[in-house]
Amino acid sequence: MSVFDHDYRPYEGRLTPLGSRPLVLARYALNEAWSSKITIGLFVLALLPSLVELVIIYLADNPIARALVMRGSPALTINESFFLHVLETQCWFALVLASWIAPRLVAFDLSDNALPILLSHPISRFGYLSGKFIALAVSLSYVTWIPCLMLFVYQCYASPEPWAMGHLSLAAGIFAGAAVWIVLLSMVGLAVSSWVKWRVIATGAIFAVVFVPAGVGGIASAILRTRWGLLLNLPVVMTELWQRMLGAPALMNSRLELPTLAMVSVLIIACLLCVAVLNARIRAREVVRG
Amino acid sequence: MNPVNDTIRFENVSKFYGEVLGVNRVTLSLSPGITTLVGPNGSGKTTLMNLMTGLVQPSRGTISVLGLSPSNATEFFCNVGYCAQFDSFPRGLSGFQFVLDSLMLFGMSEEDAYHLTTESLERVQLSDEAAHRKIAGYSKGMRQKIRLAQAVAHHPRVLVLDEPLNGLDPMARAESLALFQELGRQGMHVIISSHILDEVDRISDRVVLITGGYLIAQGNIHDVRQEVRDKPMQVLIRCDRPDLLASKMFAVNHCVEARLHADGNGVFLRTGDIDEFYRLLNEIAVEGLVKIEAVAPADDNANAIYQYLIGSDGGVS
Repeated sequence: MSVFDHDYRPYEGRLTPLGSRPLVLARYALNEAWSSKITIGLFVLALLPSLVELVIIYLADNPIARALVMRGSPALTINESFFLHVLETQCWFALVLASWIAPRLVAFDLSDNALPILLSHPISRFGYLSGKFIALAVSLSYVTWIPCLMLFVYQCYASPEPWAMGHLSLAAGIFAGAAVWIVLLSMVGLAVSSWVKWRVIATGAIFAVVFVPAGVGGIASAILRTRWGLLLNLPVVMTELWQRMLGAPALMNSRLELPTLAMVSVLIIACLLCVAVLNARIRAREVVRG
Repeated sequence: MNPVNDTIRFENVSKFYGEVLGVNRVTLSLSPGITTLVGPNGSGKTTLMNLMTGLVQPSRGTISVLGLSPSNATEFFCNVGYCAQFDSFPRGLSGFQFVLDSLMLFGMSEEDAYHLTTESLERVQLSDEAAHRKIAGYSKGMRQKIRLAQAVAHHPRVLVLDEPLNGLDPMARAESLALFQELGRQGMHVIISSHILDEVDRISDRVVLITGGYLIAQGNIHDVRQEVRDKPMQVLIRCDRPDLLASKMFAVNHCVEARLHADGNGVFLRTGDIDEFYRLLNEIAVEGLVKIEAVAPADDNANAIYQYLIGSDGGVS
């Protein structure tokens, strides 16, 4: 029988608030995501359209430069439709970036069996996913609403007429539209990555989740001669939603327009499905006996 | 400290993974010190450890670790350190970052975390140069050390170590065992699952034997051995005339086996009645025909208990 000294002292120092712990995971998830050269490459690629659009805004707001560069061309107009195009472009680049980053954040932890170690800390599965979600959302922000709003600010500055006050709702629409897309992409990215441990397959599966239902929806619409199949077409749903958020003119035939409530419901259902997948897959232990 | 708040208690705990049995109806109470979980592969040791660390919830029964329930995550996890058996690390981190981030997940400030990381790395004797390298480039032994450093860094009161000696060289094994011994002596709970029974046997205060998800025995190794009455106890007697001692002992009914030691200066005797055996041995010593130098139990260890109770095939004997 051992003689115990009972002189062991647990840590009794100050603790940080529980809610701030996911930020630790977010920090190293960001490190992991941005340590890849491919991530940097995709980021640079995603910013190239913004540079082109910056030049377009410059030309639109500067008649002398426009006359010199674009002799005889029609006048450029910076309006809701222009920013809808900017937002659309950036958001599709965000899909590419998310399909590359998300598997690095979750699939690696699963294939390395790192969850038992991470979840043996005072952090819940929700906290773990929050950390990953924050990292993904921050990464996607770099290529979506941040460049879009920077272009908006530049337009406010460069416009010869007072422009900002009349278009504040456009800025709010850009931010909200990008935020909806970021949340959806992050949820889909995390859910697919938690299901498919092999990173390359997970990347492909994220694209498949976005585009395969669109094809199915298109076929259903054609066969049944209905517009409701379009609800499965995420690119169409999102474009419609962004158009309404930014107050841009309608892009589709009014016969094919979808009700906003139906589109929002589809997005909510998609997010709930992702939550169900994450709940099933993100666990401290699979069936292990030893 | 209140004894209830100083023990790990399982009360009628069962864990099923769907139709697969993890552990069934386990009731045990562990006081501070070193406890070794012994059992064949698939016996439920890891499940027992996962339940202890709050990583899985029991299907039935209640678990209390130092009076805390796993549902009280903040306090519970701050008191428990876990060293997994798998090579499981978040990717891309150096050893130092891994321990530092782990401490910050426990809620420590960056300054405290830095200080405790340095302390724990010194404790497991991982050099500063190695600690700042990526874990992906570590040897198996270094990975084991960094896992151990992470488990002890936040000063838990319960340390759960799943196969902590795997992959360590003899020197590192001895250092780790010395560390466990020191922590156990300080009044910490150290729960070890290991297949290297000879080594953990030397430092363990008690064993928990488990097979097929069922608890077979628990308690002090010597006490458990005493309880295994159907297996005659083996005693090694060092003496100058082992052949004579063996013949005298073998003449009595309870002595069932005698085997000379390889060096010829001792004899292993197996007896069904240990009290009568020692009485007779005293008489022989008093007679003076045999000069007895040392008497020691030869199967009073975790390895022998494992063999007797579980058997080499992993089935209950």
